[in-house]
Amino acid sequence: MTALPAVVRRTLLRLALGAAAVALIFGLWNLVIFAFGLKPYALPTPQSAIAADVHRWSVIQALTIQTVEETVYGFLIGATIGFLLAVLMSASKMVQRLIYPTLITSQAVPIVAIAAPLAILFGFGLLPKLVIVAWIVFFPVAVNVLDGLAHIDADLVNLSRVMGAGHVRGFVVIRLPATLSPLFSGLKIGATYAVTGAVIGEWTASAQQGLGTYLQTANASLDTTGVLGATILLTAIGVVSFLLVAAFEGVATPWRTRSTARRRLRTTDGRIRPRTPDRLADDPIVR
Amino acid sequence: MSMGSRRKERAGARDGHDGVGATASDRGVRSAGPEVIVDDVTIRFGETLAIDRLSLTIGRSEFVSIVGPSGCGKSTLFNAISGLVRPTSGRVLLDGRDVTGETGHVGYMLQKDLLIPWRTVIGNIVLGAALTRGVTRRDREEAASLAARYGLGGFLDHYPHALSGGMRQRVALMRTLALHADVLLLDEPFGALDAQTRLDMQLWLLSVYQDLNVTVLFVTHDVDEAIFLADRVLVMSGRPGRVIADMPIPLSRPRDIDVLTSSSFTELKRDTLRLLHKPGSVAA
Repeated sequence: MTALPAVVRRTLLRLALGAAAVALIFGLWNLVIFAFGLKPYALPTPQSAIAADVHRWSVIQALTIQTVEETVYGFLIGATIGFLLAVLMSASKMVQRLIYPTLITSQAVPIVAIAAPLAILFGFGLLPKLVIVAWIVFFPVAVNVLDGLAHIDADLVNLSRVMGAGHVRGFVVIRLPATLSPLFSGLKIGATYAVTGAVIGEWTASAQQGLGTYLQTANASLDTTGVLGATILLTAIGVVSFLLVAAFEGVATPWRTRSTARRRLRTTDGRIRPRTPDRLADDPIVR
Repeated sequence: MSMGSRRKERAGARDGHDGVGATASDRGVRSAGPEVIVDDVTIRFGETLAIDRLSLTIGRSEFVSIVGPSGCGKSTLFNAISGLVRPTSGRVLLDGRDVTGETGHVGYMLQKDLLIPWRTVIGNIVLGAALTRGVTRRDREEAASLAARYGLGGFLDHYPHALSGGMRQRVALMRTLALHADVLLLDEPFGALDAQTRLDMQLWLLSVYQDLNVTVLFVTHDVDEAIFLADRVLVMSGRPGRVIADMPIPLSRPRDIDVLTSSSFTELKRDTLRLLHKPGSVAA
């Protein structure tokens, strides 16, 4: 067996530790139920909740897909809006002062309170859920990206001006890539919150059944195992979303973890050859 | 509008003839770095008079060091020559052409290397092309040859964070050279390096200067460095900045490390230090 690359080994170790943490929590959970003699209808064990999910999977599968769709689409819409707003605000202080207070206010509004008006406005379909998820997601993205754009070294901007850079190229070459790290910070926060938005949307009014409506029904019928089963699934969606964003971040920002470019991105490997013969022997440092 | 297109023409014309990555044989026929004239420049920031009626003439392909107390307006002067700051009055001329307030004519390098963390060494060297017209295969080949010639050939695909401070400054200078600018403004480029690396970098810069026909203005706080590198050392006064002494450095080129301990070097250093620390020359 060949040794695994360091990156893969690190990732596997991290996943193993994460799994160990989950196992530990489940263990404590069981301990609490055992120690206090809690009845299953008061607090079911996590394994019974998961078993219930597996047992009802033929029903739950479609519900999960529905909720995942709302989460993913809403997340993508929210992230796009957040990013565009940040870019717009970074363009001028005036625009920023005009928009920023509204953004903050939007997050102070209790989402639950506007969920009903949204359903009245947009109906019982997918749209109001997308609006709520995007509403939650756009904010951390906008704030982080705006911070990233604001904290670009002024000397770097001057340097690009001295080099004769135009506005568009300066933006594409320097400012845009500089937003990547803060963008991913915002996306990771957004990804974990997004699923909550989908659940709120489903609770308010829904023509299609999702995990949120399932949770509501289980709650109403005191089916604690069902409630817990849905909760575990929803949590898993949030965690997986976060991990996907984090994995994508690793791919999109290789300079944070690697000392050299990936082979595919390399300029050497025989494709680029120096145009002049090496004069290394003349170099005082190398000599 | 007309200013912008003229600038492009000039850049295009230079591309054709005297690229930094040009081969050894045609390096000999390169035209000299231009004469830089700072003509009666005054720069005022609100109430502060940073530079007061400063005039300088830097000859073709001359290497001039500028020393002076902190806050004497050296960096402001560079900002004016590079076009970042438009002087309150006065002009900047390159080979007689008025470029006051126009960017894109000179290479500029600071103490901070300002390498872009997400671009590899080669990506940083070709930054000028990326920012102005898009990077071509030829740009990359030139960058690779620069890196190979000046001792970073094995690090083309490294990200800046994986390099030492001296290597990063060398990449920053190569990025400046790859602009094909024939005027280089170097603002304390080795100021943040340890003494050993700094001396290596000075020797390296001397060899780079020997290879290229460029006009260099070099700001430093280090009198040894100023004399060792330059054909002429200008001593500036405290704010508002004026030139209080203009010392020719008649040390022959190419220079090696022994120059630093020669008696003529020591005499030049003594004279410069006396000028620099003359009572009244230090900013309050």
